[in-house]
Amino acid sequence: MDVFTMAIWAGTLIFLLISLAKDREKTKKALRMAFGMGRGMVVSILSIIFAIGLILTVLPPEEIARFVSGQSVLAATLVAALIGTITLVPGFIAFPLVGTLVGAGVSVVPAVAFLTTLTMVGVVTFPLEKKEFGVKFTAVRNGLSFVFAIIIALVMGVII
Amino acid sequence: MSVLKKLKGNLFIIIVVLAYMVMFIVRPEMGMASVKNSAYYIKEMLMIMPVIFILTALLDLWLPKDKVIRYLGKEAGAKGVVFSFVLGSISAGPVYAAFPMCVMLHKKGASIRNLVIILSSWAVIKIPMLLNEAKFLGLKFMAIRWVLTVIAIIIFSWITAKIVRDKDLPEAAPAQTGLSLNRDACMGCSLCVKHCPELFEMEGKKARIRPGSEPGDKEKLRQAMEACPVKAIS
Repeated sequence: MDVFTMAIWAGTLIFLLISLAKDREKTKKALRMAFGMGRGMVVSILSIIFAIGLILTVLPPEEIARFVSGQSVLAATLVAALIGTITLVPGFIAFPLVGTLVGAGVSVVPAVAFLTTLTMVGVVTFPLEKKEFGVKFTAVRNGLSFVFAIIIALVMGVII
Repeated sequence: MSVLKKLKGNLFIIIVVLAYMVMFIVRPEMGMASVKNSAYYIKEMLMIMPVIFILTALLDLWLPKDKVIRYLGKEAGAKGVVFSFVLGSISAGPVYAAFPMCVMLHKKGASIRNLVIILSSWAVIKIPMLLNEAKFLGLKFMAIRWVLTVIAIIIFSWITAKIVRDKDLPEAAPAQTGLSLNRDACMGCSLCVKHCPELFEMEGKKARIRPGSEPGDKEKLRQAMEACPVKAIS
């Protein structure tokens, strides 16, 4: 567990204790609500997780890296961004991977596109996001994030 | 019709289950590898989601609406933008962890623009992630990407707010035309009965609207609707 997760746990526990001291009933209600939220989301989250597990097996990050490094910059950027859109890879796998890619002489443009769409745009999280925020919000947010991920990558290619 | 609707609502889950079934029949070893890959994400979820749910529920009950409107609402301006970036940056966990939090904030008056900023910064520029990035790709790389991403988020959150209206979000739909309770979603927590006993009652394991009742006290009804953990009352 990283420091930030621990800090959130600690903060929430303190908040919970203060809440309990101030209003027992309200706190009980909050816990019931939290439980209800969890129940409402757990199936969706589990299906996201198992989908990611499956995608990572069929399309391992190392394969992606090998494929991307053999393409022209433009093609590599588009492919990297698209693949990043489908999967959701934790930072501690993605960063070392992109690090080796850049170290091996691959352009930073596809690397950055991959990094940004990896976390900001989610095809697997789309159903859940749609349920919580509606189709329009989800489509617009993910669409714009994708476009801007490529712009960020291109600008970065110019600067670095 | 309701069976079809249910199927459609769970389409993604069904696809995932089917994909696993096919995988286990055709390539059992790849199926096992997929389950193993998923294990990491399950651990990640268990570490962060319980606390996010508790925090969201606590904030839901204690955070005054006017504060949210002041700091994250439409009129909050630059202050709202900065505040949203800070909120998203000090987060932890995958982007879906931000969903319940953002739904709650929007219900309390946070603007669409600030919602997009929180979600996006939660996804790509949260501090734990930046630290990792600096370690593997260097401080300069991290700093440039951070600046560019912040600029991009500021621009596209503004565009999103121009396209998407509050009413496009499901929970923002006002419930003025009659009252309905989705019994498929109801999980029988009986919170609505506690808030509005004159309007709701338990029938078996689920709540229902008392036949022939009129929504009298709007404030109490609103509380009951907000208290419902699955938002089944509309």
